[in-house]
Amino acid sequence: MTLLKQWRSLLLGVLALAAFAAISACGDDDDNASSTATGTAGASTSATAASDAAPADQQHLIVQSLEPQFYDPHRSNFEQDISVQRHLFRGLYNLTVQSDGSAKPLPLYAAGDPTVSADGKVFTVKIKPGLKWSDGAAVTAQQFADGVKEGCNPANASPYTYLLQTVAVGGIVGVVGCDDYSSALGTKDAPKTPTPAELTALADAMGVKAVDATTLEVTLVDPLGVAAFKNVFSLWTTFPARLDIVSQFGDKWTDPEHIVSNGPFKMTELVPGDHVTLAPNPNYTAGSPTKLQSLKIQFIDDYSVGARDFQNDEIDITRIPDTDVPIDQGNDLKDELLVYGSGRITTVETQLKDPVLAKDKVRLALSQAINRDEMTAVTTSSVAQPALYWLVKGLPGHQGNAPFSSIDFDPAKAKQNLSDAGYPNGAGFPSLELTIQDTPNRKAQADYLKKAFKDNLNIDITIKAVDSKTRSQLFNSENFQLFIGGWNLDYPDPENPIVGLFNTGGGNNHYNCSDPAIDAKIEEGSRATTFEAHVKAFQEAETLIVTKLCGVIPYMQEGLPYLVNKKVGGVQPNGTIDAGGPGTWCGECWYVKAGS
Amino acid sequence: MTGYIIRRILWIIPVLWAVATITFFLMHAVPGGPFTQDKALPDPILQALNHRYHLDQPLWRQYLSYLWDLGHLDLGLSFKGDRDVSYLIQHGFFVTAQLGLLSFCVAMAWGLFLGVISALNKNGPLDYLGVLFATVGASVPNFIAGTFLVIVFAVELHWFKIVGWGGPIDWSDTFTASAWEPRKMVLPVIALSLLPSAYIARIMRASMLEVLNQDYIRTARAKGLANNVVILRHAIKNSLIPVLTVMGPIFAYLVTGSFIIENIFSIPGIGGAFVDAVQARDYGMIMGTTLFYAAVVAFANLAVDVLYATVDPRIRYG
Repeated sequence: MTLLKQWRSLLLGVLALAAFAAISACGDDDDNASSTATGTAGASTSATAASDAAPADQQHLIVQSLEPQFYDPHRSNFEQDISVQRHLFRGLYNLTVQSDGSAKPLPLYAAGDPTVSADGKVFTVKIKPGLKWSDGAAVTAQQFADGVKEGCNPANASPYTYLLQTVAVGGIVGVVGCDDYSSALGTKDAPKTPTPAELTALADAMGVKAVDATTLEVTLVDPLGVAAFKNVFSLWTTFPARLDIVSQFGDKWTDPEHIVSNGPFKMTELVPGDHVTLAPNPNYTAGSPTKLQSLKIQFIDDYSVGARDFQNDEIDITRIPDTDVPIDQGNDLKDELLVYGSGRITTVETQLKDPVLAKDKVRLALSQAINRDEMTAVTTSSVAQPALYWLVKGLPGHQGNAPFSSIDFDPAKAKQNLSDAGYPNGAGFPSLELTIQDTPNRKAQADYLKKAFKDNLNIDITIKAVDSKTRSQLFNSENFQLFIGGWNLDYPDPENPIVGLFNTGGGNNHYNCSDPAIDAKIEEGSRATTFEAHVKAFQEAETLIVTKLCGVIPYMQEGLPYLVNKKVGGVQPNGTIDAGGPGTWCGECWYVKAGS
Repeated sequence: MTGYIIRRILWIIPVLWAVATITFFLMHAVPGGPFTQDKALPDPILQALNHRYHLDQPLWRQYLSYLWDLGHLDLGLSFKGDRDVSYLIQHGFFVTAQLGLLSFCVAMAWGLFLGVISALNKNGPLDYLGVLFATVGASVPNFIAGTFLVIVFAVELHWFKIVGWGGPIDWSDTFTASAWEPRKMVLPVIALSLLPSAYIARIMRASMLEVLNQDYIRTARAKGLANNVVILRHAIKNSLIPVLTVMGPIFAYLVTGSFIIENIFSIPGIGGAFVDAVQARDYGMIMGTTLFYAAVVAFANLAVDVLYATVDPRIRYG
């Protein structure tokens, strides 16, 4: 009898599960109501022109993002960190997209441009009075001074400390004392163990202070142009710090119950691994207030998954892989596709210590064997743009492809150059290894390159696909021959993709480019006191780097394809700044359109 | 039996130590560290990061420190957000366990049902259908099954939701009605239970056919027992022993092998966190999740061995 009951229970269990599935499947379908929005997602709409916005109770969006590692702007490393931090925090200046697509640092918490001492080393910034944090506390100059010190604090070990360090150690603005403070723990080979008092003394010795509640004074080691100063002081490393909160809660200060913010949003909920929810910061008056009542950032690592979630109307904005870009005529998703310009140039990097690749004509032959138009169309659905340049489109100093036509696709010249290098029709050319990250798009590009080199030069390469960390380790240890790499722009200044990458002995110069003419131009650009001279020097450095193929063979400027629901307004291209999340550089611009 | 269980539990300790040791040194042997990236960090910043996480100490000292902390049930910090590994495992496993348990129940119910029906209709249409399901279920990887279900039942038909988990993510929300959203649970559970249900169906069918040919079944029928009673009282119970054998590994598979399904459905479980940790060289999280998985497998096998003795009176542990 007992067994009979168990058997019935089993059957009932099966039936219950079937019913559960059926009931669930037939549940409320309101969430799936298709939007009746007008306009296209790609239309650039300013935050102030939102007369078509839906009522406040409908202003809720869910967007896809990778999960941030840290929410503290002085510890951020990855795009997804910075993207969310930009919603929560803002600095003295704000990178703002211009009508030409470029991004300029406009005053936000600063009352205007800085005043500069006669020697170009002391910058004084007045801060707008009466501005508040999300908890109602006043925003003060001291908090900005603390923010700069946090950016150099070795306890934070910020990967972006270099923004505040001197040119001598590979830095940018060179705040007095930052080099010493940030290196207080020494190096692996020469570690140091400073006492707390010594660390405090190093922080106090930094050249940044609040003259009064609304006046910040920053003293630099070397003279600097105003534009470069404003660029760096619009970035996360210089955002203000609330040391009262940090000291009270320690590393937990960014938890939702403790965090305070001075950006357009505040954090209301955080579920690690799942999502973070933001709400408007009612005290944010430095810039345009957000129209959204809530912004849920759903952590989805796989862009293909994000694309399917978007199609199921569960995500309003998502990044998608190049391979998922809707290109077929009649595909409804084409109307919801938005391709941001990316700040990333992708290249084949060549190890110049390798005797074969050290030959100029070999590198030129490889470059001339790549049909970049075809490659970008085939491997990225034309999301990326063919590139011969190194300074990306939208960046001051960008020269376009024209000056670099000598390295462009030309199979006849490619063959000739390879022959001139001693390998007629590829004879005697050793098989080279191309190291790539094991992702679908990089595999597609590698396969294309392999075929192009075989078809046009009759040479063979082998592809070595590894995970991200292994790839980086191989690159940093210079253990590669060919390598799909590149540079992702950190901030819109032509020095960013050049300093440290092409100067002899530069920290990121793992292809061993060493050319006195390039070194001289980099030195000239770094020391220039006007922005125009600064840009010109780096343009000339770029010309030398590309025409000599000094470690890099550029082939594409990547794009960032997103799907944006038609109901979303205010989504703007973000200029040259690569963002880990969709349009995160102006989240306050987003709104839900009426009738959605 | 109690003595046997205690001995088995004590044996788990050296097993976990061995797993911890092998994982620790393998983890440090693979190329790339947690702070390895293309844009190489300056030496002082790298040193500061290593100092923060005690990676500036010699490897043997890191190992001993880890064992010491482990002995005090301290799994350390994840490099991702400086959160306690034990906190992340607890939260992740709470979600993964829901997914795994539901899938286990579905797999058992559906697999046993199909196996029994197939056996009772040997070489009939229902048998062929059951065998077809078992073959397809065993052949189709769950990432294909999951993606297929998403495209058909979510993207095309919009029947189900596919972002996140439909159960509570925190223990404290277990009895909060709004934390439950069954529409999000159906597809991941089906996708995850497909393979084990096919496996169970196959085993149950074979076992049932064997039992149905046993003398005691023939005897029961000869004595005039109704067919239903013969099947329910004698055949099914005795056919379950081979299924019990695989229940432990299946349970372990369901609660440790769900990372692909978690990825497809953006479920914040421990499987996805483990894969992320390996890719990011998040040492604390790798160690914590590996040890946790090892413990789950060890205890699942122990539970099955105990179940043997419960179901089959011939089995006795000394």
